[in-house]
Amino acid sequence: MEQPRSDEDKQLVSRTQAGDASAFDELVVKYTPRLYGLVYNMTSNHEDTNDLLQDVFSKAYKSIGGFRGKSSFYTWIHSIAVNMTLNFLKKRGRRFHLSLDDMDASVQNDKEFLELTATSSPVREADLSELQRRLNEAMMKLSDEHRAVVTMFHIQGMPHAEISKILRVSEGTVRSRLFYANRQLQNYLDEFRKNPVS
Amino acid sequence: MNEFNENDIGKLLRLKRHEQPPPGYFDNFLHEFHRRQRDELLREPVWRICLQRAQDFMFRLNVPVLTSYPAAITAVLICAAVISLKVYQGPGGMNVAVQSQTPVVATAAQDAAWSLSAPVATSDLSPKLLRNVNYSSHTHRAATPPRYVLDSTPVSYEAAFRF
Repeated sequence: MEQPRSDEDKQLVSRTQAGDASAFDELVVKYTPRLYGLVYNMTSNHEDTNDLLQDVFSKAYKSIGGFRGKSSFYTWIHSIAVNMTLNFLKKRGRRFHLSLDDMDASVQNDKEFLELTATSSPVREADLSELQRRLNEAMMKLSDEHRAVVTMFHIQGMPHAEISKILRVSEGTVRSRLFYANRQLQNYLDEFRKNPVS
Repeated sequence: MNEFNENDIGKLLRLKRHEQPPPGYFDNFLHEFHRRQRDELLREPVWRICLQRAQDFMFRLNVPVLTSYPAAITAVLICAAVISLKVYQGPGGMNVAVQSQTPVVATAAQDAAWSLSAPVATSDLSPKLLRNVNYSSHTHRAATPPRYVLDSTPVSYEAAFRF
């Protein structure tokens, strides 16, 4: 997932700071799908994601006057989204109910989907939708911080450096969290493959 | 039976990009955002709205940077004023006050000697005269009796009991 052009964002931010609310609307429209994916895969719940996203943009609008452009708007808005989601998850605790929707029909044409089902034997052996369900459950067993890193790296396709800026941790920390999370997910899925009924 | 490797996990996770919200969600998101903003404004008290506007204004003008120097100078002046007041009200302060009052007292005491030929009595401000004034004021206070004297026996206006 490629990053949006930052000079375009700078102009929109400047216009918003000058009082042009329509410029902020453009930023909302531009970043909603991207942030939706991030928050949704951290909360696994559509309603929570919707409320959180509304709060994220509301907070961003209130504090955009203080945004000095030390980081890109992309990093700044992602930091707000990740921090607010992590705070929300801490408050929510372990009480959650999955509302992850079935994958869109477009997945059938996805290059990686075709590769997975054609070449990878463990995936071919298991029912893919059941595997996705188990993967979602496995994701929810990770700690919030590990899930955030997995979401940003694997699902959003962000580089380590960008994740470290957003989370304000070192790149080494990002890599180690990713390594640990991958190992955990691997274990959960292997367990499922060995005992598919459980 | 093969095990899942890291690559498989990555590919499976990337498929989660296809998990989408209900159709039309992104189209309605902005309307929902505007509606919530309006609701929030209606619910907020007026003073908070004013405070936020003022904060926004200050951020836009970068007022904290602009006011830092005048604020620092004002703080220094206030500190200097407080320190000078403390020094002025210290143990030596009473002497200064007495000496500043003495010329007025001195001229008043010398009213009898005042004449049109010498309207400004500069010679009256001699140290000798100051000593006399001070002395007379002390002796006057010592000579005047106290205004209230407590009686040694309590006074009672009730009629005495007689058996």
